Amino acid sequence: MVILRKKAWRDIKENAGVFLACIVVIAIGLLIYTTMSIVFENTYKAQQNFYSETHFADGFIKVTGYPENKVNSLTLLSGVDQVEGRIVKDVRLIDQQKDSNRYLRMITMNLTNPAKLNQLRLITGHYPENNQSEILVDPQFLTANHLSLGDTLKVVIDGQQAAFNITGTAQSSEFVYIMRNSQDLYPSATDFGIAYVPLGSLKDLVKEKGQFNDLVFTLKAGASFDTVKDSLETELKSYGLQSIVPRKDQISNAILTSKLDGLKSMATTLPIVFLGVASFILYTMLRRLIEQQRVSIGTLKAFGFTNREIVGHYLTYPLVIGTAGGLLGSLSGIALSFPLTNLYKQYFALPGLKSEFSVKYLVISLVLALFFSVISGLRGSLDILRLEPAQAMRPPAPMTARKTWIERITWFWKSLSSQAQMGIRDLFRTPMRSLFNVLGIAVVFSLMTVSWSMQNMINLLTVVQLEQVQTYDVKLQLAQPSSTSEVKLDLAHEVGVSKVEPVLEAPATLKNGWLSKEVALMGLEKGATLYNILDKSGNHVEIPEHGILLSERLATALNVKVGDEIYVESLMRQEPLGEKGESLMVQGVVPQYVGLNAFMEEKELQRFLRQGDISTSMLVKMNPAEVGLMKSKYLNASNVASITALKDEDEKIRKMMDSYGFTTWLLAILGGITGFALIYNTSIISLSERKRELASLRVLGMTPREVLRVITSEQWALFAFGILLGIPLAYGLGISMAQAMSTDIFSLPAALPPVALLGAAAGTAFSVLVAQSRAYYKIKSLPYVEILATKD
Amino acid sequence: MDILMEGKGLRKVYRTGEVEVEVLKGIDFQIYQGEFIVVLGQSGSGKTTFLNIIGGMTKASAGELYYRGQPLHESDERLLTQYRRNEVGFVFQNYNLMPNLTTYENVKLAVEIAQNPLSVTDILREVGLESWADHFPSQLSGGQQQRVAIARAIVKNPELLLCDEPTGALDIQTGIQVLKALQKLNHVYHKTVMIITHNIEIAKMADRVFYLKDGLLDNVLVNEHPVSPEEIAW
Repeated sequence: MVILRKKAWRDIKENAGVFLACIVVIAIGLLIYTTMSIVFENTYKAQQNFYSETHFADGFIKVTGYPENKVNSLTLLSGVDQVEGRIVKDVRLIDQQKDSNRYLRMITMNLTNPAKLNQLRLITGHYPENNQSEILVDPQFLTANHLSLGDTLKVVIDGQQAAFNITGTAQSSEFVYIMRNSQDLYPSATDFGIAYVPLGSLKDLVKEKGQFNDLVFTLKAGASFDTVKDSLETELKSYGLQSIVPRKDQISNAILTSKLDGLKSMATTLPIVFLGVASFILYTMLRRLIEQQRVSIGTLKAFGFTNREIVGHYLTYPLVIGTAGGLLGSLSGIALSFPLTNLYKQYFALPGLKSEFSVKYLVISLVLALFFSVISGLRGSLDILRLEPAQAMRPPAPMTARKTWIERITWFWKSLSSQAQMGIRDLFRTPMRSLFNVLGIAVVFSLMTVSWSMQNMINLLTVVQLEQVQTYDVKLQLAQPSSTSEVKLDLAHEVGVSKVEPVLEAPATLKNGWLSKEVALMGLEKGATLYNILDKSGNHVEIPEHGILLSERLATALNVKVGDEIYVESLMRQEPLGEKGESLMVQGVVPQYVGLNAFMEEKELQRFLRQGDISTSMLVKMNPAEVGLMKSKYLNASNVASITALKDEDEKIRKMMDSYGFTTWLLAILGGITGFALIYNTSIISLSERKRELASLRVLGMTPREVLRVITSEQWALFAFGILLGIPLAYGLGISMAQAMSTDIFSLPAALPPVALLGAAAGTAFSVLVAQSRAYYKIKSLPYVEILATKD
Repeated sequence: MDILMEGKGLRKVYRTGEVEVEVLKGIDFQIYQGEFIVVLGQSGSGKTTFLNIIGGMTKASAGELYYRGQPLHESDERLLTQYRRNEVGFVFQNYNLMPNLTTYENVKLAVEIAQNPLSVTDILREVGLESWADHFPSQLSGGQQQRVAIARAIVKNPELLLCDEPTGALDIQTGIQVLKALQKLNHVYHKTVMIITHNIEIAKMADRVFYLKDGLLDNVLVNEHPVSPEEIAW
């Protein structure tokens, strides 16, 4: 069918703008799908391979000290497969030049009896010799601190200074995302790294003689973690058990998994939006094309072309669009996956993480594109193809000539020009098509609004957290729980200190039925002002004397509300056997943007833990000029694990939020392009359908600008309805996206400032104006004589 | 002469919403192989509907229709398509050319589905359009467009050529040229030709004239001495 193919290509050329709009929107949808899916798959595969190769543990235990010679006996517990012990110490680097704190987490390696669990992957250099002062460090720490193999690091371990030579770099499945603890927000390779040291080299330096303070274990097939945890608790309680964490809650794994979930979610939901819009554009475009070619279709039928041949001809258009959109989207998505994977490599130390050209996603994208396109095409063409040839060649029955409801608002209707009446009347005479157009504009407007407001949400999070919640200048983390009154007294006398408030943090498991969550319980003193709990309106919330306050995300995870009781367990609680925990009443649910905590009054938490008047950290308000002095004084203190200034937290939070900038900007741009494509398509279809009317108006003597009002009145009406519908849609989308992007480390507040709505409206209006300028050009060059001379 | 087509009691009712319009009220007719028939009638008499039914473009609401003894009234869409493809050539009142195909391509379109087509170049020469082969319909006059439509219908080499007002928009000379082509198709190639027209003079070319009135075949006249197109007074 050579001639029909020529006809098809010429039809495409004549409608190039609209075809291009469809192709672009399909491409955008598939770009997002392909990029996110490839990065997800690359990262997931790298994660699973790394975990499998290195035998990543199922559980992680912290104890004060467990005898080395008893570790193997833990395998006798039901459900426990393998156990290994290590000494883990957070040590401070001795650094004369910098005033910021640098820490290493030193983890022992047993070189005589190599580890079976959490094995290391050597990246560069060689393993240290046993009993030698040699270590491996993680590659990011090495690079960020401009270190080289052979360099020496000086550290303070349990009050003693020691020096270690770097013999190589290694990565562990335990530290794919390197964070010091769950309160840390963002990996900072400059300030914190992981070092692996031979057991023999560290033994003499630490107070844990013949003991391990850290155990990792795997479960036997079919074993339940909770059951095994109970057995381990019973066995380890007398050895100062602090926490038993399953793999899913292990910080690095939890963050990586959360990131993967987010990627997967984006890969599935967002493309559907764009492909849906593309399907709509394609459907209306094809339907319009087929209606305009109604007589041609009838003629082809009259000449004996079969329905299959005619459908095949009209399916050329969606096939071309689907193929072009599919190829463009998948190839650009594959290309974009490379830099995005590299971005992930900066944050996740996954050795096997790399990007490759994906034939799989090229094929899937093509199939998806063709599927959506062909379905839209078929749907758009079936009605007319069912007609008899004689019927097809007759013009369609005229639409109803009844007044539409808007015409009955007489005062408004009469205020409109004739051109505006023409434009708006048609809008109401084709309600389904108008509804789809309005819906399309609303979706695009809401996408743009949410993208605009992401930055605001991020700023709000940062401002609230750093200016209203955390109002201290310095936080001292104590090496072990200490007497509140003693520490507070010591600090209060320091130069420049105006206020000291104690904080008690205890790892805990919160349970509601089968739902449970491992969190840090935060005990704040009555009337605390250096760490503030705020409600949704930003008002200070007083900590209740009894019971517990939950963050919103925590309450949702546990499915509890104010007035409910939850069961709280903590390994820090000294309890007689049989009373592992206690039921506490939820006294309030509060927004918490950074961290995932439950809050109690300090005295109440102390009562719960039954360890007396203890605190684990101190918040200090002081003269900022004296912070450096305080740091240098307490850095060497044996009871101080770390000392951080709020400005360091500020930098970390901002860096963390910057990492989301790429995604939000990408969404805003893609949303804008899709919006323009939709509006442009509507404009061109409208113009095409009204060619005769517009030509007649030109012949009557109207200027192109006056004639354009027929199109502009329709478009601005669609725009207005689209914005009205888009506003509640934007709020809904904003809430969904904030929830989707929130993790256990931070929760984005779903706030849509008016400026975001205005910005998106301006962006959408800009698309309308650009489409109208194209329409103006077409009207100006309309061959009205030829149009009116040619029969339809 | 053999009967090419026969109709018995043909009726056609159009329904639009609650309104029913009976356009054909029971027509009996016969068309013989190689005949030149002109159908006359006033506006609304049912001429176009009659032509559409004969051409398989629409089905009668009632009655029987036979083509070479095969019952067309029982045929499904697939068989009617085959009938139109292989047996019928149609010339429409409004030309119905493909606007983005050239003259040559519009005619070639029909060749691609024809079993035994004629040469496109020869047919274009026959209708006097060989030097307009690369022009698009919008670049042709109404008369030229009509000649393209006729060429497209003839090139299929159909047994039955149906023409709805083929000379309606043409000047005298062009009209004569078109009619001569149709007559040649009939006399030389022995194709059956049926023309709908308002121009009663054209009836003088016919072998027989069907008079339609109010949806019925009012009269069928035999023309003993058909004339050539040049002898017709416009």
